[in-house]
Amino acid sequence: MSELVGRAVDRVDGRAKVTGGARYAADNPVPGALQGFLVGSTIARGEITGIDTSAARAHPGVVAVYTHRDMPRLTAPPFPYLKGFIPLQDTRIHHSGQPVALVLAETVEQAHEAAALVEVSYRAEQPKAVIEDALDEVYLPAPFRDRPNEIVRGAGEAALAGAEVRFEADYSSPTHHHNPIEPHATTAVWEGDRLTLHETAQGVNLTRGTVAAALGLPPQNVRVISPYLGGGFGAKGPLWPHTILTAAAARLVGRPVKLVLSRAQMFTSNGHRAQFRQNLRLGATRRGVLTAIVDTSTAQLSRTDEAIFNRSDSAHLLYACPNVHIRHRGVRLDVATSSYMRSPETTAHFGLETALDELSYELGLDPLELRLRNYTEVNPETGQRYTGKHLDACYRMAAEAFGWARRNPRPGSTKDGEEYVGWGMATETHSHGAMPATAAVSVDAEGRVLLRIATQDIGTGTYTVISQVAADALGMPLDRITARIGDTALPEAGLSAASATVASVTGPVHRAATAVRDAVVAKAVADRRSPLFGLSPERVVTEHGHLFAADDRRRRDSYRDVVARGGQPVEATGSVPNTPGHSFGAVFLEVRVHARYGSVRVTRVVTAHDLGRVLNRRTARGQVIGGVNWGIGYALMEHTVLDRRTARVVNPSLSSYLVPVCADAPSVETLFVDRPDPGSTALGAKGFGETPITGVPAAIGNAVFHATGRRVRDLPITQDKLL
Amino acid sequence: MRAFGYTVAKDPADAVRLVTTTPGATFIAGGTDLLNLMKDGAQAHDHLVDLNRLDMAEVRAQGAGVRIGALARMRHVAEHRRVREGFPVLAQALLASASPQLRNMAAIGGNLLQRTRCGYFRDSGSACNKREPGSGCPALEGYSRGHAILGGSDHCIATHPSDLAVALLALDASVHVLGPDGARRIPIADFHLLPGSTPERENALRRGELITHVEVPDSHAAAHSRYLKLRDRATFEFAVVSVAAALELRGGVVRDVRLAFGGVATKPWRSAEAEAALRGKPLTAANVAEAGRALVRGAAPRPDNAFKVELVQRAMAGVLAELGGPR
Repeated sequence: MSELVGRAVDRVDGRAKVTGGARYAADNPVPGALQGFLVGSTIARGEITGIDTSAARAHPGVVAVYTHRDMPRLTAPPFPYLKGFIPLQDTRIHHSGQPVALVLAETVEQAHEAAALVEVSYRAEQPKAVIEDALDEVYLPAPFRDRPNEIVRGAGEAALAGAEVRFEADYSSPTHHHNPIEPHATTAVWEGDRLTLHETAQGVNLTRGTVAAALGLPPQNVRVISPYLGGGFGAKGPLWPHTILTAAAARLVGRPVKLVLSRAQMFTSNGHRAQFRQNLRLGATRRGVLTAIVDTSTAQLSRTDEAIFNRSDSAHLLYACPNVHIRHRGVRLDVATSSYMRSPETTAHFGLETALDELSYELGLDPLELRLRNYTEVNPETGQRYTGKHLDACYRMAAEAFGWARRNPRPGSTKDGEEYVGWGMATETHSHGAMPATAAVSVDAEGRVLLRIATQDIGTGTYTVISQVAADALGMPLDRITARIGDTALPEAGLSAASATVASVTGPVHRAATAVRDAVVAKAVADRRSPLFGLSPERVVTEHGHLFAADDRRRRDSYRDVVARGGQPVEATGSVPNTPGHSFGAVFLEVRVHARYGSVRVTRVVTAHDLGRVLNRRTARGQVIGGVNWGIGYALMEHTVLDRRTARVVNPSLSSYLVPVCADAPSVETLFVDRPDPGSTALGAKGFGETPITGVPAAIGNAVFHATGRRVRDLPITQDKLL
Repeated sequence: MRAFGYTVAKDPADAVRLVTTTPGATFIAGGTDLLNLMKDGAQAHDHLVDLNRLDMAEVRAQGAGVRIGALARMRHVAEHRRVREGFPVLAQALLASASPQLRNMAAIGGNLLQRTRCGYFRDSGSACNKREPGSGCPALEGYSRGHAILGGSDHCIATHPSDLAVALLALDASVHVLGPDGARRIPIADFHLLPGSTPERENALRRGELITHVEVPDSHAAAHSRYLKLRDRATFEFAVVSVAAALELRGGVVRDVRLAFGGVATKPWRSAEAEAALRGKPLTAANVAEAGRALVRGAAPRPDNAFKVELVQRAMAGVLAELGGPR
């Protein structure tokens, strides 16, 4: 069967994307649409004492300026609305950049200029912006979505006290923002009490339900359309206020409204990776067997919610350790609400994978050997053996390809010209989700296949992978498949987040396509006009759009002819549940640190990953390249700066919030174990997208230590820390 | 950004006349900084006078030096053979700036006039003495990693972002302008101003004055020069610290040296003190170290940028090493 699945098939939407044919959320011209623009609070904490909108309303082209005084009362919906409150409902300010007015005008430029003319007066209170300014207010929040913030296995403290070797260190990372290149955009079109949203959404169905709840509508009255996404990374998974406010304003003004967040607004409007501090204490035997992990972390929270996303999953899942005590603590600050950000566990994983490197030096063990001594075939959370875990193979493959065995462990042992050379490694892992989904597949009388499922392509390759799966199941060429996704009018599927898309939709697509194939074969063998008449269906093979007799390929029919003779398209739907799981990997890399200036370059990277069966080597490799380069940004530059006195973001632009550029990107050798996980109904594939960033920051820090003997525990590793 | 008028200037005198007589007018050439400033609300203009049709883009040898038209694009200047051979520091500074796309658009005159990358200046929701005189300077006690350790005042510590200006300063270039009262020449060292109590005034240009060209004189040191730019990523980023150095060595003794610095001062910074510590002396590690100490004498670091005191000395030593000094 398998002709396409597993191969490095080109993106089926690639041509549309590079020619501008792909229509993103803000690309859809909606006749009569007004342009919306939000006015953000310049203070972080306090009350609005007055808003003068007269100058803004007098500006040419301005149709309306809404504030808390005239917006309808809206209901803050439950998850995935994380913010806890909806702006423009009262006078309280919870963070800088909080929307305080919404301008609607005929053009974008008019809306922007009028927004600058809205005069807001405040009674300001002193805000707190960073964890360091509120250390005495740290607490253990209640569970978020039933996941507790204290996790205990065995007796961590006691085991630590009795350990042969103890290690303790503190790690930290700053606030990060997702910064997808496509800004958040929404266009709200009302017809009576029915709402259509052209939306930048990682989950059209979740967005539908959440918007409906906020506006007091039945979900079926809301249609959400999101055919392409210019990156989400978690920022477009939860619903954010601008979408609700735009929909409410469009209803109020009686015209469609389009709103696109500015880059600066994206630093206060759609979540972020929370500032994070972590104290890690490890206990081990002298041989390097972990006996205790005590992980106490602190994440920055907002005043209006207490969800923690920087979870220490790795500390209790990745290694065999009988005594684990994890506390995810938080502290409320006058900042915007944080959220999921690819990959949420990376903050804590950086600490763990750095601490293991440090422990390996204390023990005189190779860092890879230390990890192998704590390897587990059993999921420590459930006690169940993993159905497919080949992390050991990842270590072996990547170490060999990298040449790890040649490493001189002594820090500072290698210098090339003016640069110190260091090698570092880390384990990678991410737990992926699996969400219910239904796919519909039909073949028409022209032999064309329509695949419909309300999943999303957030840039990862969903269009391509589901087309491959359907094509193989049917025995059809890829170019006969048209996939329609990203629309709540299609059969329901879940969020494209938590690395869940492939794990969730592959089984349903495969089942629906297989059902169509079986139905077409059944029609052929039952039809006297078919050359295959009378054959047992099992004796029929389908390839290249044709149906053949297995033992006599001269007897053949085609999808087109069978369906044409039947007079109507053949359609089937499929649903197959899957279970959440874990994908794994190892990253080995080389850095060069300038001896005089302390500047760090990542010069060589080898990865190996176990994601079960690889459905498309090109898109899988794309995820690794993206993860590695984001990991480089994470380790070396990314940093949202909050002014400590005003709690306002100081660098809300892509010229001041640095991400890696091409010149920072090294060659990446991407290896895959590629063995199907028998526990996965997604043709043996596991969710993967978020895995290949997780170990990169620690591997870089570990390599910097190896290069220089300097251990940087506070990210990012800028050159001033290595002078 | 508010609506603005737009006129294409026919010749330099026309451009000067238009900007002088039109309320709220300013010049636009490449527009790579101006448009961002207008969109961000850091700067507002009612009228733009487009210079791009003017015949001011030529780069040519002139006497003992090179004359660079103010409309020459950064890429064109960086690739010009006369520039690469006679003034390597200039070509290197240009190529270390921005991105290829920006270098194709941005003009030399505008490069000298680009405004600071200070986050408080670029955020119209923050106070800033440069943007709104008298409103205060949050950087003094706020986030100051990108800010100056030299040349600051109680009103402003923002750094000047141009790499080109640092190189031109080391080369003793001059800026030629045309204004309502005619043409004049401004030595590059006098072109950019210290913030003092008027950080909104960044250069010596008078109202309506247009940069027509820049002249760079030849010298032995200019031909033996180098630009070093340290930054937080490999390309497409402003300097944390940069050094433009030009050096003439005779028998191991420094006959001529020019040292200018970016990323550390409120204007492109020439250090006569560091140069004096080297001129006429052998280029030894001890003398280089003394020059470094002379450079940072009087530095006023803050917690976020204190590292620049050390880094700028290392950068200076590093670039001198590349020019033949001690390793």
